[in-house]
Amino acid sequence: MKAIVSLAVRLLVITVAVAAALAGVNAVTAERISAAEAEKVQQAIVSVLPGCTDIEQVEGAEFDLVTAIYSTSLGYAVQVEPQGFGGAITMVVGVGTDGCVTGVEIVSHSETAGLGAKAAASTGEGPGFRASFIGLSGEVTVSKDGGQADTLTSATITSRAVAEGVSAALATAAAMEEGAQ
Amino acid sequence: MIGEIVGILLAGLLTENFILVKFYGICPFMGVSKKMDTALGMGMAVTFVMGIASAACWAVNALLLVPLELEYMQTVAFILVIASIVQVVEMFLKKSVPALYQALGVYLPLITTNCAVLGVALVNVQEGYGFFFSVLNGVAGGAGFTLAIVLFSSIRERMEEGDCPKSFRGFPIALMAAGLLALAFMGFSGLKIG
Amino acid sequence: MNVKKMTLDGLLYQNPVLVQMLGLCSTLAITTSLFNGIGMGLSVTAILICSNVMISALRKFIPSSIRIASYIVIIAGFVTVVDLLLQAFLPTLSENLGVFIPLIVVNCIVLGRAEAFASKHGVLASALDGLTQGIGYTIALVLMCVVRELLGSGTFGGGILNGGEGIRILPEELGATLMIMPVGGFLTLGCLIAAAQWLMNRRKKEARE
Repeated sequence: MKAIVSLAVRLLVITVAVAAALAGVNAVTAERISAAEAEKVQQAIVSVLPGCTDIEQVEGAEFDLVTAIYSTSLGYAVQVEPQGFGGAITMVVGVGTDGCVTGVEIVSHSETAGLGAKAAASTGEGPGFRASFIGLSGEVTVSKDGGQADTLTSATITSRAVAEGVSAALATAAAMEEGAQ
Repeated sequence: MIGEIVGILLAGLLTENFILVKFYGICPFMGVSKKMDTALGMGMAVTFVMGIASAACWAVNALLLVPLELEYMQTVAFILVIASIVQVVEMFLKKSVPALYQALGVYLPLITTNCAVLGVALVNVQEGYGFFFSVLNGVAGGAGFTLAIVLFSSIRERMEEGDCPKSFRGFPIALMAAGLLALAFMGFSGLKIG
Repeated sequence: MNVKKMTLDGLLYQNPVLVQMLGLCSTLAITTSLFNGIGMGLSVTAILICSNVMISALRKFIPSSIRIASYIVIIAGFVTVVDLLLQAFLPTLSENLGVFIPLIVVNCIVLGRAEAFASKHGVLASALDGLTQGIGYTIALVLMCVVRELLGSGTFGGGILNGGEGIRILPEELGATLMIMPVGGFLTLGCLIAAAQWLMNRRKKEARE
């Protein structure tokens, strides 16, 4: 019995020491990791609204699916998180001053590789799929549902989620524009 | 829903095969594939543990780590869970299903360090799968592992008799054969659902 | 402590990948660009040194009946530290290597060296063992990367040199995408191990003569 207790205590000591060390490292790196993610969002904003300046986050406005709103010299960049097949898809949608989509960038996602992940890919169907949203306005739907945006082959759920995110972003930008006037 | 289930099964077995496409669990794949019956035993043991481990790791993650904001402990927690599961399964089989223990026993300790098991637990979290899909993904991945290792062992059994350059004997020629098998599985990547 | 022998063993005669055939998963999976190979190799080297030192220092404290569990916990701790540091400071590498960073926990090289060497030797010798084995692993990864990248995309140094594009050596049309795919991994590793066996055989022959 005593031997078992000694074993358990020693394993416990090791585990607790490891956990404490990890908590320490996590405390140092957590901030850097979220800063790196913020940097990715910044890059996405510049990519959906090329040449935009004066990027400022708009505080205090809340809309469905929207996690952040940025106003720029060329329109709004709206960060939305619709639910895809494998979880939330974090994406940034650019909406020009004319109220039409200027670009869609996917920041992070957990869609299935080879299926839904095509939406974010820089090759294959990805770029064309994201570009198919450019110029659209109002309620956006994908071609499978009779809309104008493309549907990714065998990834209807992902495609619908992206369209849902774009619609939410358009509605948000329109509401913001109204509020500003 | 049905489409997603079929999708995960198809991905685990063929298009995203754990061994031949994603390279999880290469060590047992090369190590325990000299005979077909041992390969089948190993495959079944891995499938079994992967299913249970997916369920247990999902529970630990969703009920313990996420509420306590300890996500950075995932790797440590998962490997501990897997090591304990392997131990428990071994003891349980030894006591209650001796026949199955006879068949799978020798492979069980090896499974702790099989990266397919830890791999599937981590992938389940990354993909944000719920309980049902986690278990399904684990079992599908295990079935894919079994398919690959059984096919490969039957190739290796035949290769024993072949003549090849001295430097290529043993491991290298087996890797070449695995490469050709991977090439064949690439053909499945065109399979689409939906 | 025979430094010269340990170095030669780690790098060549007992190379973890090419001779002991350990840690094959990551060797096959991530060796598609030089950046990945070096990043993975150095991560594993750092983890090997740390875990070897720690396990060697604790070898009197850890009872043998729970040694494997203790080793796994210690290794998993170091792996998570490296994982968090990479996410914070080298996010691109972290994304490329993905799940294969946490999977270092079950990389047979690390657990293998803990069991075979660190649990029986002093701290300094274990540190050196971790360093030489880790560098041997890195060399094998880099060889894989260079071959696969050159034949697959016709470039050298993808991810690091020439602004991440890599230096073009062969024209783009000649690139055999197959080498970047899983098939290429198996074929390249097979050829590399065959080359290592040929070298070993020749050495044995010379020793006999």
